[in-house]
Amino acid sequence: MPPRILGNLPQLPCLPKGSLFTIIRANVPTRSFGIRSLNPPKASRFNVGADLPVLKSTPTAALERKSRTLPLRTGTIVIKKGMTGLFDPETGKRVPCTVLQLDRVEVVSHKTRQIHGYNAVQLGSGWKHPSNMTKSLLGHFSASGVSPKRHVYEFRVKDEAGLLPVGQMINADWFQTGQYVDARSHAKGKGFAGVMKRHGFGGQDRSHGVSLKHRSMGSSGPGQGGGSRVYPGKKMAGNMGNQQNTVQNLKILKVDSENGIIVVQGAVSGPKGCQVRIQDAIKKPWPEVAPAELPAETPAEPTA
Amino acid sequence: MANPSPILRQLGCFRSLMKPQSLQHAQISRRSITTAYTPKSQPLDFPSKMPKTFLSQIPTHLQPHSRKKLKVYPPPASATTTCKDAVGAVNQSQLETLDPTGERKALFDYRRNPRSVKVGDIVRVTFKNGDPFAGVCLSIRLRGHDTSFLLRNQLSRVGVEMWVKALSPNVESVEIVQRTAHRKRRARLYYMRQPRHDMGTVENIVTNYLRQKQGLRGIKGRGGRGQRR
Repeated sequence: MPPRILGNLPQLPCLPKGSLFTIIRANVPTRSFGIRSLNPPKASRFNVGADLPVLKSTPTAALERKSRTLPLRTGTIVIKKGMTGLFDPETGKRVPCTVLQLDRVEVVSHKTRQIHGYNAVQLGSGWKHPSNMTKSLLGHFSASGVSPKRHVYEFRVKDEAGLLPVGQMINADWFQTGQYVDARSHAKGKGFAGVMKRHGFGGQDRSHGVSLKHRSMGSSGPGQGGGSRVYPGKKMAGNMGNQQNTVQNLKILKVDSENGIIVVQGAVSGPKGCQVRIQDAIKKPWPEVAPAELPAETPAEPTA
Repeated sequence: MANPSPILRQLGCFRSLMKPQSLQHAQISRRSITTAYTPKSQPLDFPSKMPKTFLSQIPTHLQPHSRKKLKVYPPPASATTTCKDAVGAVNQSQLETLDPTGERKALFDYRRNPRSVKVGDIVRVTFKNGDPFAGVCLSIRLRGHDTSFLLRNQLSRVGVEMWVKALSPNVESVEIVQRTAHRKRRARLYYMRQPRHDMGTVENIVTNYLRQKQGLRGIKGRGGRGQRR
């Protein structure tokens, strides 16, 4: 259409009606939503091709690096109930053990490679009254078809084969007697602790002129030659404990699926009643799991 | 401020009469004190076929289709309510597997069983792997499946003490060699570690007991005066 229509006023009556209408509409700015970059990313002119190696700083490379240490199947959330001792049936020796119990552990949702960049199973345990819960979280559980959960944790798995169906309950027999697990939980908080307790420093002399400094740290760094500053990461007094701690390679001594009890050898961080996440030990061969337990076609193959 | 003439001021009250009739009516109706109920105006319906982009800009509570009520699912049955004492359950199952008859437990339950081992008794323990050990029982710790007792003896004039787990699968038998002459008035006989109270070796008593038992077994074919469990 002619661009200089307004300048040609005598021609106006003979123009068709529709064309004038379209011109006016074209001048009205259309509203757009969302944030749009002024400089959208452009396709690179280089590094385009099929046989190029995967860059080290990409999510694909990161997943490839983690593939050996990511468990094939999900773990579970348990409550630490306390410690006791069991007699080893083979050697007859008494071994210290921790009693863990499951509380209504169900699959709440998934994290997938396509949407979130990694594969993980989101589990929930316990129960929280719906009136004490935000509506957004309530909607999350409602959409998954599970009851509102008090504790929600993610367990990363290697690939889609490890993603359990949403709503499936995990019982104690998810783990087998004799297999090894890693247990991560929050250690007991010790409050503001000095360097002797927190980092095992030796303290200073009882005497020889030391006054009021028997349990404090010595020098915090070198003088003029070392830059006359305290280096980052210097061990000092501060808050101790109440941080996540992982205990690796705990052997499972006993499984009682009726009461939801798992007994592991050794100690687990945290006070009684704390939430512990246990998953197949990454430094041991993956446990031999029946293919029926995994929803995928490929059974779990043991890898170092 | 020009002062109007006094005549004009008096005539000022007729000014309202000189106003047009229609205006007067309107004023009266406006000042009426009656209040008529007027229903709250309902929001107009949205046009049909409204684009989605427009709809999303309307506040949620004004949107034509308000959100659905969330369905809250009931919680499943919990193992923590059926089994509240998980550690106790594990201990109980241990007790049942290690001591199904409850005999070994009764042997050390000195509070209830009058025929049990008591502190001051000389006890001989045999193990599945290892040499038997005999000594004076200094203390008994009653802890369910963790019940243990402390034996003291002298081997080559050196005092030796040994804690023995009563229900350990390694413990083959526990027999009372000699009961204490009279009831000890302490629960823990740690004073027997002092040289003044030390009983010395119990070797002779145990060998005598074993010889006697051997002889009885030769005649009767049954155990001696000690209880073997």
